[in-house]
Amino acid sequence: MTKKELFFIGYLPVPQKLWLLFIMTFLAFFAAFIFSAWAIGLSQNDPGDGRFRFDLGRQTVSGVLETLPYPMIHVTEGSSAIDAGETLMLSGAGKFGVEPHASNLSSTSISATGIILNRGTLRMLQISNPRRNLSVVENQQSISDPLDLGRWRLVGEICDGKCYAGAMRPGRGIAHKACAELCIEGGVPPVFVTTKPVQTHEYLLIGNADGGPISDTLLEKVGIYVSLEGRIEQRGSIAVFLADEGSLEVFP
Amino acid sequence: MSVKYVPVQWNVFKFLYDFALLVIIMGFLWVFVHIIPDQLTYDPSITPQIQNMRAFGSCAFFLLTAILVIGPLARIDRRFLPLLYNRRHLGVLTCFVAFSHASFVIRWYFVFSPTDRYVALFGTNTAYNQLLGFPFESFGIFALLCLIILATTSHDFWLKFLTPRIWKSLHYLIYPAYAAVVAHIGLGTLQDQPVSIFGFLVVLCVALVVGLHLMARRCELETTDSSALHRVDAYWHALFPVQEIEEGYARVARIDTGDRIAVFLHNGKLSAISNACAHQNGPLGEGKIIDCFVTCPWHGFQYDVTNGRSPAPFTEKIATYQIRVREGIVEVDERANPPGTPVEPLNVEKEDSV
Repeated sequence: MTKKELFFIGYLPVPQKLWLLFIMTFLAFFAAFIFSAWAIGLSQNDPGDGRFRFDLGRQTVSGVLETLPYPMIHVTEGSSAIDAGETLMLSGAGKFGVEPHASNLSSTSISATGIILNRGTLRMLQISNPRRNLSVVENQQSISDPLDLGRWRLVGEICDGKCYAGAMRPGRGIAHKACAELCIEGGVPPVFVTTKPVQTHEYLLIGNADGGPISDTLLEKVGIYVSLEGRIEQRGSIAVFLADEGSLEVFP
Repeated sequence: MSVKYVPVQWNVFKFLYDFALLVIIMGFLWVFVHIIPDQLTYDPSITPQIQNMRAFGSCAFFLLTAILVIGPLARIDRRFLPLLYNRRHLGVLTCFVAFSHASFVIRWYFVFSPTDRYVALFGTNTAYNQLLGFPFESFGIFALLCLIILATTSHDFWLKFLTPRIWKSLHYLIYPAYAAVVAHIGLGTLQDQPVSIFGFLVVLCVALVVGLHLMARRCELETTDSSALHRVDAYWHALFPVQEIEEGYARVARIDTGDRIAVFLHNGKLSAISNACAHQNGPLGEGKIIDCFVTCPWHGFQYDVTNGRSPAPFTEKIATYQIRVREGIVEVDERANPPGTPVEPLNVEKEDSV
């Protein structure tokens, strides 16, 4: 190809041999883009089986509300999809928790209506309007004392319990970190997802060592692999990990 | 070339170029968003909004890579110049794709919350003191701002308004933008999945961009190199033998002041002009003379080789140089004439003439 054949200006007719090259280049770029989309798309990880259980419909249960470290209900009177004796974490709609309404009802027997979120043994009830769907019932009951499972050092990831339970798929990891922090700041219960189960519990509701919500130090470590030491309590069917923030180690 | 500003000076090639771009982009997104979910057997599937943000984000990265590959490719092999011709449309489309990615992220991860979405975007993850979990979103925001600036100033109005030198400097923002996108990906999704096909493709793309730029630089040095190039006296430089210049074309030399000078041979006479086109600093010396005018290979801007002026009604001007030939070697005076200064062409038949 000579210099004259090669010269190209957009407003003049395109030399024939450059047309051929242009078409071949287009095909090469097209093939590269399609291959990339195909390869990247197919290599995405499985987000797990977590999901909203809209198919089960709205569930109304009664039970005793516990608000620390995060709201949960110990079910005393179940529904078609929730058994009595089960304990469920509670969240509001979106990135909202059920606070502050729930804090006024702590340790009282309530009725709760919402949609189940379910991932394996991790179960949560989304209550879209806590003021309307959380109400005190007449027949007050009490809950048994927590069972001390001892001190443990766990390795895993702090996730927001709602996204991880299936509100978002995937709902964990660094790409999801800011969303998870927003959820937890909004009052959604966080869970510690362990690499090795603690007496069959793969997911533990996590709080601070003093029994309250997690501190900003732990909030910053949401979405990344960490190691934490703390006391584990069995509360109903849920394991609660009361972590010492001073024991925090980050894994590279 | 135009004496008035219109949004796009369409021609057949630009239509085809943009059509090809849209086919590539739509093809990528179609496969990622519509074909892949049916192929994956995950139950339940990946959230569609997350699938969309992944599709648009990775597409924007590959488009940005293509933008940065085209430049050096055209310098290494002139046959790729047609890809450069309409590259700004590729840039604008890339900005739209990147903006769509950001929209999906903001309207999914940063909504449904008591905190305002933009406050949440900047204020939620502030762990700038740690590499793992670093707020990688900040790199994405920076890159998107760069792309928006580049897209909005891509029109020739801004080129004229800002002057080519400032405009060109501003458009080097594409490099920090690309670096920021790589950091955005590296500290974000690749920290989650260090060993992945996407990670491999990102490394491949970065290596391609860096490798092609180095190759283009080497080619440029080779084409402007001359064994005869040296300073003759205080102002004059010996460049190259006359016979190295082909009729209708130029030979380019870079003298030690840093200026690139294109010496053209037209109708058996030599003329020297600045190698930088007044439009986008395109390499005039790689152009050719059409209808008695030097024609820039990038966008076809034209100049009279004897005075550096664009033909009427256009008003662009470039610097001209005094030249002479001694013992068959072209020599140039480093003191450039003011843009548009006429210089009598030098007849190469007469040896040792000034």
